[in-house]
Amino acid sequence: MLIKTPEEGLYDELFDLNNRVRPHYRTLENWLINSDEDLIAEKRREANVLFQRLGITFNVYGQDEGTDRLIPFDLIPRVISASDWQKLQSGLRQRVNALNRFLHDIYHNFDIVRAGVINAEQVFANPQYQPGMQNLKLPRNLYSHIAGIDLIRNNDGDFYVLEDNLRCPSGVSYMLENRRMMMRLFPELFAEAPVAPVDHYPALLGETLRAASLKPNPTVVILTPGRFNSAYFEHAFLARQMGVELVEGADLFVRKNKVFMKTTIGPQQVDVIYRRIDDDFLDPLAGNPQSMLGVPGLYGAYRSGNVVLANAMGTGVADDKSIYPYVPDMIRFYLNEEPILKNVPTWQCRLPKDLKYVLEHLPELVVKEAQGAGGYGMLIGPRASKKEISHFRDLLKAKPHHYIAQPTLSLSTCPTFVDEGIAPRHLDLRPFVLSGKKVQMVPGGLTRVALKEGSLVVNSSQGGGTKDTWVLEDDLC
Amino acid sequence: MLSRDAASLFWMARYLERAESQARLLDISLTMALIDVPEDREEQLSVPLLVTGTAEEFKELYGDVTPQNLIDFMLLDDRHPASVFNIIQSARDNALHVRGNLSADVWDSINLSYIEMKELRKTGVTESNASQIFDWTRARSHIFRGAAYGTLLRTDAFHFMRLGTFIERADTTARVLDIRHKMASASQDEHATRSFFEWTALLHSLAAFEAYQQIYGHNILPLNVAELLILELDVPRSLHACLHEIVALLELVESGDARKARRMANSLYANIHFGDRDYIAERGLHEYLTDFLERIQAISGQIQKDYMGWQV
Repeated sequence: MLIKTPEEGLYDELFDLNNRVRPHYRTLENWLINSDEDLIAEKRREANVLFQRLGITFNVYGQDEGTDRLIPFDLIPRVISASDWQKLQSGLRQRVNALNRFLHDIYHNFDIVRAGVINAEQVFANPQYQPGMQNLKLPRNLYSHIAGIDLIRNNDGDFYVLEDNLRCPSGVSYMLENRRMMMRLFPELFAEAPVAPVDHYPALLGETLRAASLKPNPTVVILTPGRFNSAYFEHAFLARQMGVELVEGADLFVRKNKVFMKTTIGPQQVDVIYRRIDDDFLDPLAGNPQSMLGVPGLYGAYRSGNVVLANAMGTGVADDKSIYPYVPDMIRFYLNEEPILKNVPTWQCRLPKDLKYVLEHLPELVVKEAQGAGGYGMLIGPRASKKEISHFRDLLKAKPHHYIAQPTLSLSTCPTFVDEGIAPRHLDLRPFVLSGKKVQMVPGGLTRVALKEGSLVVNSSQGGGTKDTWVLEDDLC
Repeated sequence: MLSRDAASLFWMARYLERAESQARLLDISLTMALIDVPEDREEQLSVPLLVTGTAEEFKELYGDVTPQNLIDFMLLDDRHPASVFNIIQSARDNALHVRGNLSADVWDSINLSYIEMKELRKTGVTESNASQIFDWTRARSHIFRGAAYGTLLRTDAFHFMRLGTFIERADTTARVLDIRHKMASASQDEHATRSFFEWTALLHSLAAFEAYQQIYGHNILPLNVAELLILELDVPRSLHACLHEIVALLELVESGDARKARRMANSLYANIHFGDRDYIAERGLHEYLTDFLERIQAISGQIQKDYMGWQV
């Protein structure tokens, strides 16, 4: 099949600036141009059927028939060269280390605030800051055991961190199932390309969760909001792969500040909870009293040190967009190292100097809510109408501290199957970083792709799809 | 294991067993109605409604007892909680709950039944293709069983699932036997062939016709049928076989202090294991089965209390 070349000025993962195929994509490109259109169409149908049967579906509320929706899966993998991955890996390790140090610091000694690197208001007035976490000693001083770091590659060919997800990052099951699907559909491809395996992720996660407790043989469970949650498939998948119980709030209870699960032979104590429920819903006695998902008394048990939550409560303060600009400073402050991964330059509208710049350059900037997520409530300057821009100008003037602004980055593109054939589409990358006795990750991550032509929004809630992510074991081929 | 997971596995298996037996029942009734004399056709068709206790509901939704109405009601109607469609959906809901305890193969077997059933509802089922659907339902059930036996760890998850299967199966066998026996005895005097048909239908709907032939020869006598379906340990759907499994499974599951369900099951098992045809004849088959049904339901309730109910 023919591969459409990218627009000029964009970084494409497969083609270089002269439209030559990059060396680490050669095997794949060769396969693509030699593949028959009908065969590929057939394989796409097969993938669809297999995903339906696996039950990797999204739950969509309010629809009668077919409430299960699939996240579109694209058959063309995204390839990362071994040298790129080396750099990403050290950068991610460094970054997550610094973020965990930061979280420990702001709930204990406040060194970074005392040193004047971040001002106190930024930290303590942040709605995600949990005063109740102060002076709570956590095993190994770890807060974010599982982090998902969103990266993009810019025009200049460099990776930038777009966002740190330190609460309940999801999507890892797609990384694993996408790989399994590709190996099933195109085993011959894997014989030719030295693709690094990812399927030991559940084993690493299990190791990380057991290391989160100082007990010798801790009982680990996954706490899910239940089967109507859009990530339920992932919760069940990980529980099965790790051989731990998948529990809902109603399966747990707290007695004498200890957490137990209700089993067929009576109560069994739980030591580590990999929770996929937000802070506020964990304990109706401490957070949202309406929460039906949580466990009454859990917070007390946690404060008593009788159970470990992964991730810890109160990690949200460190992945907030208003804290994001300080991550490079954190790395310098705690680790005494220069940041390996780039941050996107960010203007903080609460600072008069920054606000002035932002107001003058609105048509070229992206403006985001400091607390928003999921691609909502943002302004993409170059694509916005005059009316939208003036609307945001008013918002910024009224509540400058609610917003940050960044230059419009163009996400790199990668060949993707679309209706008219194979064409470039924008994508990002979310590797998953595990912190236990040491910081580890599997070579890969979740690649999300915006399926609409020209679109930069990769979120699955807004028409994004996923790809298998290949990290090559060596760059010789 | 988690109590809630035990409950989900128990019910998942009950529903899947129910889907299969419902398809068998309906299949036999439709076939028998074809050979029956016209004036008895409606009675024949009503058997699945009587066994499942849904005659009233059917009347309200459909009125006339015709083969097509019966097919729609018992297989596809989403207004009817016990239609095969809804049963499979409930089984899948429970399976979804306990995906962490199921192998990929078992999940796939249930999920695929659900996906295909949804397709089937779109195309609809008529008298002419109904038998294919019955074959399909049976085949799906076999695939689930094969996947479960072939791929699941023999832990409590497996045992609770099987408990659900055998409780449901015992319940179904007793009900079908009771209803068919009633119909056969009513027509015995006036119509010898009619009663022969009834007994044949009964054996077919419990997949035991060939077993009868092998053990008793082709001469069908009511008490032989009762003996076969109640006392014969080697017949997979007999009450004896079901209780045998239930008692063994209750020994296998980790029980803590729970003894009551085990005691009740063992007592009922002893009653059958050491029972004989004369005792059944003396008591009267209907009374015997009524008593059995009450006790098996009590055992089911007690299992749920002992292992799945929670008061903190």
